[in-house]
Amino acid sequence: MTADLAYRTAAELAGLIRARTVSPVEVVHAYLTRIDRWDGVLRAYVTVCRARALDEARAAEQALGHGAPVGPLHGVPFAVKDQFDTAGVRTTSGSRLHADRIPTEDATVVARLRAAGGILLGKLNLTEFALGGTLTYPFGQPRNPWDQTRETGGSSSGSGIAAAAALAAATLGEDTGGSVRSPASWCGAVGLRPTWGLVPRSGCVPVAWSMDAPGPLTRSVEDAALLLSIIAGPDGRDRWLQPARTDPRADLERGAGGLSIGVVTRLVDGPDTDAEVRGAVRAAAETLRGLGARVEDVDLPLLPLAGAVFMALADGEAAAWHHPTLAARGAEYDPGTRRRLVTAALLPATLAQQAARARAAIRAQVWDALARYDVLLAPTGPTAAPPIAAAQAPIASRAEAARRFFNRRSYTTPASLAGVPALSLPCGFTAGGLPIGLQLIGRRFDEATLLRAARAYERATDWRARRPPLPG
Amino acid sequence: MTELTPDQVQALAAAAGLPLHDGDLAEVTHRLNAFVDVLGGLAAIDLAAAEPAPAAPPDPGPAPR
Repeated sequence: MTADLAYRTAAELAGLIRARTVSPVEVVHAYLTRIDRWDGVLRAYVTVCRARALDEARAAEQALGHGAPVGPLHGVPFAVKDQFDTAGVRTTSGSRLHADRIPTEDATVVARLRAAGGILLGKLNLTEFALGGTLTYPFGQPRNPWDQTRETGGSSSGSGIAAAAALAAATLGEDTGGSVRSPASWCGAVGLRPTWGLVPRSGCVPVAWSMDAPGPLTRSVEDAALLLSIIAGPDGRDRWLQPARTDPRADLERGAGGLSIGVVTRLVDGPDTDAEVRGAVRAAAETLRGLGARVEDVDLPLLPLAGAVFMALADGEAAAWHHPTLAARGAEYDPGTRRRLVTAALLPATLAQQAARARAAIRAQVWDALARYDVLLAPTGPTAAPPIAAAQAPIASRAEAARRFFNRRSYTTPASLAGVPALSLPCGFTAGGLPIGLQLIGRRFDEATLLRAARAYERATDWRARRPPLPG
Repeated sequence: MTELTPDQVQALAAAAGLPLHDGDLAEVTHRLNAFVDVLGGLAAIDLAAAEPAPAAPPDPGPAPR
C-alpha cells in the first residue's frame, strides 16, 4: 500500500490530494516509511526534513479543509539536490567543506516549488560540488536501486535514486554536462535538462556558469513538464534568464505524428556504445516512426570530441571558482574532485581557447541539425550503469584518463555545449536488468516539442511500469 | 604540445599555488596529457570560422522552426 502510493506520479498525487482522496500527511508518511526502509542502503538523502515535512503536511491538510486556494503541487513532497540552498536547512554540496553550511534563503527553484504548495522532504546526495568523479562520498555511497553494486550516475545521484525508487514524489537536480540525464538513465527515471537561460540558477552552488541548468528528475514525462512549468522564468536575480516561450505542457498529448527526428549516428553507432544500448535506442527510433514521426539518420562528426571540450571549459570555470579554497584547504576535498580541479587549473590557455572554438563548432552542428529536425535522438550514455568499483580504480595511463573522463561525456555534453534542452527517459533494460536511457535533444526554448516526443514514446511503451526490486 | 612529465606538472602546480597530495601527481599528469592529446588534435579540424561566444551575446530570438 505504501509503495503503491509512493510510486504515484506527482501529478497524480496532487490530484488525489486536491480531491481529498489522500491526505498530505498520509503521503509524507508513505515516503518517510520508504526512506526509513531503503535509504540506509541507497543513500539518496544527505538530510531528511522529517519534522518540518510533517508539520507542513498537516498545514496543507488544514488549508484544504478551509477551502483555501491551493497550488499545483499542494501537499506533494519533493526533494532537491543538496546543491540548492534551503533556508534553515544545511546545504552541503556533497562536501565536507560545506558540511555545516546553513543558508538563510531558498534557491529560487526551491522557493517556487514551495510556493506551488510542494513540501520539502529533504536534500539529496551528489558527487562533491556536483563535479563527478568522487571517490569517497562524505554522506554515504549512493547505490543504484536496480543493483546496489552499480553506480547511480551523477552528479545528481540522490535525485536519480529518489525518483526511481519512490523516495520522493519528484526531485530536482542540476545538469552541467549530463548531471540530470545520466542519473535518470542509469536509475531508470525521466530527467530534463532545460534550455540554458530558462531556469534560475540563483541559490544554486555553481559548477560552470556557462552551462549550469537546474532541471527535474521524475517518474513521468508529465511530471517533468509540470515541475518545469513551475520553476522556469526570470527571477530578477539571474541576469541571463529569459521567459518561457511556450507552456512546456502545451503539446504533451499531441503524439509523435508529423515530428521529424534525427538519429545521431555518431553516438548510436559509436565504438563505445554497448550493443544492448544501441539495440534499445534503435528500437525506440522505430517506435517513434511507428507513431508517425519522420525518422532519419543524421551525422554530426564533431560530437565524439564533446566530452573533452566540455571538460576543458566546464572544469576550467569550476577551477576558477574553487581556486582559493583548493589552495588553502585542498586536503579537505575528495581526492577525485581535487585531481579534477587541479588538472583544469593547469590546462594551458591555448588549449582552453581551442576548446572554446570547438564548442562554437559543435554548437553550430547541433543547431544546424535542429533547424532540419524537431528533435535529435541518441543514447543518454554508451552503457547501462557500471559497477561502483570500476569508477574507483586508479588512473594508470593517459588513455585510461581519456576513456574514463571524456568518452562517456561525449553523449550528454553536446546539448550542454549547445545550450539546448535534452531529456532522458527509459527505453529498455539490459539482460542483467539495468535501465537504458534514451536521450532526446530539442531546440532552444522549445521544451514543449521535446516533451511531446518524450511523452509519445512513454505512452507507447511500458518501461515506466517497471519498479526496482525494493518492496514495501 | 608535447607530453608533460610529472616534474613539469609538479612545477606548474607549485606556480599556481596548488599543493599536490598523496597520489595526485601521477593522476593529474595522466589527466593533463589526455587533454593535450585530444585538444591538440583539434588543430587538424578547420576551426577558422568558429568564434567563441562574443562578450555580449545577442538575444537569440525565437526558437527556429
